[in-house]
Amino acid sequence: MLSYLRLELLQVLRDRYYLSFALALPVAFYLLWSSIFAGDRPDPVTGLPYSVDIMVSMASYGALGATLMSTGVRLAAERRSGWLRQLRVTPLTPTTVIVVKTLAAMSLGLPAVILVGLASVLWQGVRLDLLQWVAITALLWVGTLPFAALGTLIGSLTGPDAAQPITLGAYFGLAIAGGMWVPLSVLPQVIRDVAAALPSTRFAELGRAVAAGHAPPLSAGLVLAAWTVALGALAVVAYRRAW
Amino acid sequence: MDAISVEGVAKRFGDVRAVEHVSLRVPAGQVVAVLGPNGAGKSTMIGMMLGLVTPDAGRVELLGKAPAEAAAHGLVGAMIQQGELVPNLTVREVVGFVGGLYPDPMPLDDVLELAGLTDLARRRTGRLSGGQVQRVRFAMAVAGAPKVLVLDEPTAALDVETRRAFWTAIRRYAAGGRTILFATHHLEEADENADRVVVLSRGRIVADGTPAEIKRRAGGRTVRFRLGAQPAAGLERLPEVTAVEVSGGFATLHTADPDIVVASLYSTGLTIRDLEITTPALEDAFLSLTVTER
Repeated sequence: MLSYLRLELLQVLRDRYYLSFALALPVAFYLLWSSIFAGDRPDPVTGLPYSVDIMVSMASYGALGATLMSTGVRLAAERRSGWLRQLRVTPLTPTTVIVVKTLAAMSLGLPAVILVGLASVLWQGVRLDLLQWVAITALLWVGTLPFAALGTLIGSLTGPDAAQPITLGAYFGLAIAGGMWVPLSVLPQVIRDVAAALPSTRFAELGRAVAAGHAPPLSAGLVLAAWTVALGALAVVAYRRAW
Repeated sequence: MDAISVEGVAKRFGDVRAVEHVSLRVPAGQVVAVLGPNGAGKSTMIGMMLGLVTPDAGRVELLGKAPAEAAAHGLVGAMIQQGELVPNLTVREVVGFVGGLYPDPMPLDDVLELAGLTDLARRRTGRLSGGQVQRVRFAMAVAGAPKVLVLDEPTAALDVETRRAFWTAIRRYAAGGRTILFATHHLEEADENADRVVVLSRGRIVADGTPAEIKRRAGGRTVRFRLGAQPAAGLERLPEVTAVEVSGGFATLHTADPDIVVASLYSTGLTIRDLEITTPALEDAFLSLTVTER
């Protein structure tokens, strides 16, 4: 199981696509946006200084992208290429495969969270308690679970050609409507109404709450748990049929 | 207990009956070739043996276990058709990973050497040629030192040279008393490498025996000589002769026992020149066995 986890992580960590989209882009966006919205003026919705608010946004954005990209597209490709069939004749069980893939996808979001956090400290002088950093990192790890389920669902239902655009669409849609690219306060009311029910908004909210110095609201946990259960159940059914 | 036991399996895809009630028992240590043209049902049968395809009827056991259970116990290694590798890993990482899944794998360096991959061990999987990928897939199949090895057209798309090296490796692996079943439509591969040939045509086993038996079953051999202007009459009455053809000044006698035919030929008083005894290639045998099915 550990050897499979290692293999899964290695494959993605060596992927230039992952390195640029899930690591370089969020860090670059952080440097850019935090310079444009300079100053300690708090965001009207979250009440956080822009330098902190954008840090949480970009960390969440990177983790969301890494998780979606490393599940959906890869699973679709592995189903097509015969790699999964090849694994079926080895002692590796389908349950181990999906558990490891989920763990790997969640963990692949961590480098972005850590790098964006580091950039905020070094570039904007953001200061949080050590416990806050640990809590943000841990929550942005556990919170990727519904996205790992969504990726598994996409990868089990579609071929590699369709998985790519669908994943990208879900990625950008969730990121924008979840207030990761631009603050929710500047988005139209329609999107803001939907946003409260989206897992991406609630995912970023986990980090924003901790950064603001309080525990995440219960509603965020409930929305994320509901998405995880719903998408997870669909993903398990789809994966069983695909395997 | 048989290494592979297939009992009355059948599988249809829509209106196509891919495999029709096939039974096959392979004792441990045997090397079996499943021979058949494209679409004969070889891959479907192998898929059912490996638990990748669920049969509509019948049952499959590998060393007394259901295929999935046998796989979980590390008893099976397989090279299935259409198996690309995952990107961004080295040959050594991929083969080592698969070997590590098995309870009692072969030492990694031995596997790489057997598959001729020692020099490619550090290369990334995305930078391999088609033939090299094939060798990696073979290495993955044997890395866990499985007791039963199943290979679906393992040398498809390999050049002659690589193919020869490949079979040398497979024979080395078989020498350890392992059971090997491979599908092929290369007749000479079955002839040269298998203890037993099972001919599959339209989802059914149409012949099963040693390569020599299969050839014999397909109409025996011929004795051919230059007849010139001499009369052909009476040749068909020679002992053991089943048919006579005369064309271009040559007589061709069909028989199951060329020794007796040749001996009696010299007592006919004919002048025998350019005498030839031919054994049909397995290819002819194969054609005569599968063509009747069409």
